[in-house]
Amino acid sequence: MATYILRRTLQSIPILFGVALVSFAIIQLAPGSPIDRFRTPNIRPETLENLVRLYGLDKPVHEQFISWITAFVQFWNTESWGYSLVDGRSVRDTLVDRMPATLLLGGTALLVTIVIAIPIGILAAVRQYSWADKAITTFATIGYAIPSFLLGLYIAYLGTVVFRGLFPGFGMVSLPGTEGRGTPLDVAWHMVLPVTSLAIQQIAGWSRYVRAKMLEVLNQDYVRTAKAKGLSAAKVTYKHALRNALIPVITLFGLTLPGLLSGAVITETIFSWPGLGLLGVTAVTQRDYPVVLAFVMVGGFGVVMGNLLADILYGVVDPRIKY
Amino acid sequence: MTLTARSTGPLLEIRGIKTHFFTQDGVVKAVDDVTFEIGHGQTLGVVGESGCGKSITSLSVMRLIERPGRIVAGEILLNGENLLEKSDADMRDIRGDQVSMIFQEPMTSLNPVFTCGDQIAEAVQQHTAVSRREAWDRGVEMLRVVGISDAKRRASEHPHQLSGGMRQRVMIAMALSTDPDLLIADEPTTALDVTIQAQILEVMRELREKNRMAIMLITHDLGVVAEMADEVVVMYAGKVVERSDVKTVFGSPHHPYTQGLLLSIPRLDERRERLQVIKGTVPSPLHLPEGCLFKRRCPHRMKVCDTPPPYQEVGPSHVSRCWLTPAGEAPDVGADATGPEAEQAAEALTVAAR
Repeated sequence: MATYILRRTLQSIPILFGVALVSFAIIQLAPGSPIDRFRTPNIRPETLENLVRLYGLDKPVHEQFISWITAFVQFWNTESWGYSLVDGRSVRDTLVDRMPATLLLGGTALLVTIVIAIPIGILAAVRQYSWADKAITTFATIGYAIPSFLLGLYIAYLGTVVFRGLFPGFGMVSLPGTEGRGTPLDVAWHMVLPVTSLAIQQIAGWSRYVRAKMLEVLNQDYVRTAKAKGLSAAKVTYKHALRNALIPVITLFGLTLPGLLSGAVITETIFSWPGLGLLGVTAVTQRDYPVVLAFVMVGGFGVVMGNLLADILYGVVDPRIKY
Repeated sequence: MTLTARSTGPLLEIRGIKTHFFTQDGVVKAVDDVTFEIGHGQTLGVVGESGCGKSITSLSVMRLIERPGRIVAGEILLNGENLLEKSDADMRDIRGDQVSMIFQEPMTSLNPVFTCGDQIAEAVQQHTAVSRREAWDRGVEMLRVVGISDAKRRASEHPHQLSGGMRQRVMIAMALSTDPDLLIADEPTTALDVTIQAQILEVMRELREKNRMAIMLITHDLGVVAEMADEVVVMYAGKVVERSDVKTVFGSPHHPYTQGLLLSIPRLDERRERLQVIKGTVPSPLHLPEGCLFKRRCPHRMKVCDTPPPYQEVGPSHVSRCWLTPAGEAPDVGADATGPEAEQAAEALTVAAR
């Protein structure tokens, strides 16, 4: 097991290098430049040239890449990921600051998803074609089909307009000067709408997946064996079938992890949630190269780690898999 | 480990059961008016082609028929008690305790995420008041009984670490761990290769003697039946077409279908240029022919076969669902009789389902 994890970790290095190369190239190819925002009608051309030289944008692309990546891997240094071209803060520190908000939002949404999606997926499978199954399927289809930006707006509208501000539609804490600003309760209150928005989409996918796996497993011979032993329906379903049906759900968990790390870009933007997703979107619109690259790299790291974690978990829960 | 006193009657009596599947295309009469019984310690072979209703009959006894299937008529008496009238909870107590079942596919019949020992112990604990430890020990003991060497180690292994033959042994160990009165074995050796088949049959035979257990052996392999069974039931398209002791069925089969089955197996003691085949295929269960279900494939087809044939006694404890006389000749009513005339004759000849 330890050798396997070590090997996989080493294998992820070239993958992350590839992610870095491609992201860097894409940003270089994208129109616009970080100095565009200094461009005013009466700025002197020399000033712009100075800025280009200051940021090293006059150097060949490969030199820029090498100087960026050599610094980037030294993540233990504050300055390693560079400084924002917009506010001049250390990029690494900004990301570290934003991380908790994103983890809080994504983690809560994932928890809500697991708690709701698995039971309703099981229910839909055990009572296949019942009204409950049909209702769950309808909900899942709508949740899956609706784009997240639209769903987010609906939820925001529902919470703020229809329910007359019962839930706040933006931010993580109340406005300055409000009583109880920043208390856990205040944060939880602000989380209701974005978590609902995220969870609905995830529940839609997860519940369908659990239902499909459960149906597949319920038709297996070993489930018939369990019944033939005289076990109760509950034991057959929850011990013999569920244990097998949940193994592939780990794949979904692995797929969700990168989103958890790099944030839900659209949902965070709609609800002005001060997480990594919002940071990334803002950075892209401002051509804040160091921030964009760091944001993309965190996402890539999340994907690699998600896959690795899923594979390790398979080895833990499925006796047929040994590393 | 049943405490029920052994009644004097047969262990299992199936009386006129009908198991039908209500599909969108129509009603499939998978088992249609099947009657037979199994005595204590007896082995009954149930033979027939795929789709003749053998497996559905056995699942009906276990009451494991799932929608859209339903047992619509008949009685299944175990030690004189009708299983079809039992509550679900009572039925669960019977399943795996008084009646155990093993299946055709040893590769997929064990749960991949639990150890073999756990799966046997679970059956033991379900039906007897023992501790986890005792149940586990019983599992190890049973593995030893079915001939698994190094039983202790094997018990803590998962099914994927065992071969097909070993897995079938585990299934048998699990089925027999509660000392059932009846073991239903649904094609227990079909998925195994020949040497392993022989070993598994040997294990079953040994345990049958030791536990005085009855076996309902479902198979399409006549060789297995000849080796194991006391009595034979031949099924065709959901009905019993012939029933007798194993010697009679193999020695002087009456029903043309049984004759066809016997002619289609290779023999070492006779030189045959070609094996005979039964022409045609089993009729679609949605479009069964009128009268005799076998008539389209039968070499003796007569006009009278358009009327359902009688289930007549053709010898001592030998019954056959065919118009031919016990001697195998065309019946007196006239081979070309039809309609009411033939129906009356059939009624007179039919042995009531007892």
